[in-house]
Amino acid sequence: MQKFRISFFFLLVLVASVPSHAASVFEGKTITVIVGYKPGGGYDRYARLIAKHLPKYIPGKPGVIVQNMPGASSVIAANHLFSVAKPDGLTFGTFNNATVVAQLIKVEGVRFDLAKFSWLGSAASDAVILTVRSDVPYRSAGDLRKAKQFVIGTTGPGSSTHDFPALLKEFAGFDFKLVPGYSSSADVMLAVERKEVDGRAGSFDSIKPFIDRGLVRPILRNRTTAPGIEKLPVDEDLATSQNGKIVMAVNAVPTQIYRPFVAPPATPKDVMKILRDAFANALKDKELLAEAEKGKMTIDYTSPEDALKVVAEVLSQSPDIVQELTKHIKFGD
Amino acid sequence: MLDTFIQGLFAVFQWQTFLVMLLGIFLGFWVGLLPGLGGTTTLALMLPFIYKMSPVEAFAFLLGMHSVVSTTGDITSVLFGIPGEGTTAATILDGHAMAKKGEAGRALGAALMSSLIGALIGAFALALSIPIVRPLVLTFGAPELFMLAVVGVAFISSLSGEGGRALLRGILAGLLGLLFALVGQDPQAGVQRFTFGQLYLWNGLDLVPVLVGLFAIPEIVDLAVRGTSIAGELPQENLSKGVWTGVKDTFVHLGLTVRCSLVGTFIGIMPGLGGGVAQWIAYGHAVQSARDSEERTGFGRGDVRGVLGPGAANNSKEGGSLIPTIAFGVPGSSSMAILLGAFFLQGISPGPDMLDKHLVLTFSMVWTMVVANIITVAVSLFFLNYLAKLTLIRGPVLIPFVLFFSFIGAYTSNNHLGDLAVLLAFGFFGYLMIRCGWPRAPLVLGFVLGRIAENNFYISTIRYGSAWVGRPLVLMLISLTVIVLFFPLIRSKWQESTKGETQ
Repeated sequence: MQKFRISFFFLLVLVASVPSHAASVFEGKTITVIVGYKPGGGYDRYARLIAKHLPKYIPGKPGVIVQNMPGASSVIAANHLFSVAKPDGLTFGTFNNATVVAQLIKVEGVRFDLAKFSWLGSAASDAVILTVRSDVPYRSAGDLRKAKQFVIGTTGPGSSTHDFPALLKEFAGFDFKLVPGYSSSADVMLAVERKEVDGRAGSFDSIKPFIDRGLVRPILRNRTTAPGIEKLPVDEDLATSQNGKIVMAVNAVPTQIYRPFVAPPATPKDVMKILRDAFANALKDKELLAEAEKGKMTIDYTSPEDALKVVAEVLSQSPDIVQELTKHIKFGD
Repeated sequence: MLDTFIQGLFAVFQWQTFLVMLLGIFLGFWVGLLPGLGGTTTLALMLPFIYKMSPVEAFAFLLGMHSVVSTTGDITSVLFGIPGEGTTAATILDGHAMAKKGEAGRALGAALMSSLIGALIGAFALALSIPIVRPLVLTFGAPELFMLAVVGVAFISSLSGEGGRALLRGILAGLLGLLFALVGQDPQAGVQRFTFGQLYLWNGLDLVPVLVGLFAIPEIVDLAVRGTSIAGELPQENLSKGVWTGVKDTFVHLGLTVRCSLVGTFIGIMPGLGGGVAQWIAYGHAVQSARDSEERTGFGRGDVRGVLGPGAANNSKEGGSLIPTIAFGVPGSSSMAILLGAFFLQGISPGPDMLDKHLVLTFSMVWTMVVANIITVAVSLFFLNYLAKLTLIRGPVLIPFVLFFSFIGAYTSNNHLGDLAVLLAFGFFGYLMIRCGWPRAPLVLGFVLGRIAENNFYISTIRYGSAWVGRPLVLMLISLTVIVLFFPLIRSKWQESTKGETQ
């Protein structure tokens, strides 16, 4: 009995010390958030917003700083998080959501496996839409299909401005003339206004101000929806072949985890629990939400488990689909 | 409209606004001085601080910082031959040459005064162009932008120096620059070009390490070899007294200064041309203003006009690049893209609204640029004497600091060791170029214009087939290109014939 009591007592002490051990991991330390892009861009702003409000929810109130590691559409940052950063909970990061496609189509230079990262979750999803200039006579997807050589401006293969209409052209019978080469999606918008091109695809968040201004009208979206565009037809529904539907789905699915945040693989479970809870709570924080609203940043939390499901869905595609995808999708900015 | 214009001025002088503007100026002053630490990055880092400010305050802060960066960046370029900012590299060519002749004060005075005039012209262009800006920007499509890039490349003929051999070298250097611009993922098919499997090179070569390498490293090597201070062993009386001479120079050559300011403003207005181009074209134009071939050889060796041109242009482009940002929500450069983020943070959608509903804010931005630059130039003029004396410090003492700042500055581009590799590679290459007598300015121009030229050419051809060549503006720009290319030739032939007559 005595032995039992003693061992029980030790067990109790052990168990009680585990969370405080994890808590003391952060005491007096600084967490680094690695961002795969330069300061000022979308990923950077989300990271800084979260970095500002995260310490409230981590015992020990560590400092949180952002380190930019741009290059290769964030593949450099992803590689760093996978093999170089220490898995001690003091580093995590964010990078391009399309890296999962990069991994699938085996882009040269990819040295990570998204399924092995310790996921914190995703801070937002992103609806991709196709819009046309308001004075164009096509009001619906059906109308647009009838158009001949409809000019769409893009920033080049690898971006949503290009891939979304490219897949529609290939698999849904739209006669688009893609004009790539604009240096940013804002330049495409100017080209629309200038009547050099007649339509533009891309992230709903960034196009929204122009819809509100009346410059363009939305016609189609991908499967990820957002308030205001729920009723738009989905590209997958318009695909004319089963393969086409799957390719579009594979391209669209990562947008559900548009702002992914991960920690290096093999970060200890107890430390991850703290980070995950802190992440989820920070994204519910009133002040964070108010700042996000002011900065027109959508917050739309996806749990780490759901994020991993998305990753698994993309990575489990058959080789034919991968081949089909490689033909039409390039990885880039 | 006039009363809104005045209202904008009063808005800037509210004490809270004025205070944050001073804070911005203070920040911008140092950011410009320190090589590599860019105005763009700093803008991005300052964004979180504007959440609690009102729109006028926020932009007084951000613009107060950003509009003085090109002014103080010129100081570093002149004194040390290191580009303080990516946009102040052209000032090095003649500015630093003057410093080496012991005329640092004069160069600084000229740089500062021309910066002020450039800033004023750019700011007022913003104010005045408000009625015409939308049709102006909408008329310049991809074909016109391509032709503008071609006109820019044509300036290589003016940047190359005198003589057929120099011209040939200039053209080759320009083409080499275009080649360097190809590195990275091409935007038409997504293929990797010249990246040799390196992830770092996917997005191409970054401007700052290339510039710092091409200009700073050879200067440092030269300084180390000479063993003296930057100003050399020359008599030092000119050093600080020269400041007012420099200021006066700006007004002696007022026509050139104003013309280069207008060039800078125009280039700033054209979205996509970017910030690095204006200074080189202004420099090329300044060279063209030389009256004969003898004067032209003086450029690159310390002609004050070579400081006035770029000094004015790199400030006036600030006002210019605000125009498409405000009027269309399309950023004229990468720093404008960040500023756009600031607009959204403040809940303002740039576009036609800025030109009527938020007109006071727009005018307050104009006044911020004016007031910020006046303050900066006034303050700098007081310190110029001391700054100029930096050129008297012995080389071996100065070099470690200069080298240190060059490395840090290059590293801030991508926080990647690749930045340093590029810095050293281009440093070596720049040194070779100087030793072999090859001009570096054309290479930079080709490098900066390469992407713009390629993308817009491609867009024009896909969109319009071959029809774009016949567009009226395109034809005008083609003739402008021919004029710019052959201008030096035409002028020397004309001068020979007039000389012949007088003899």
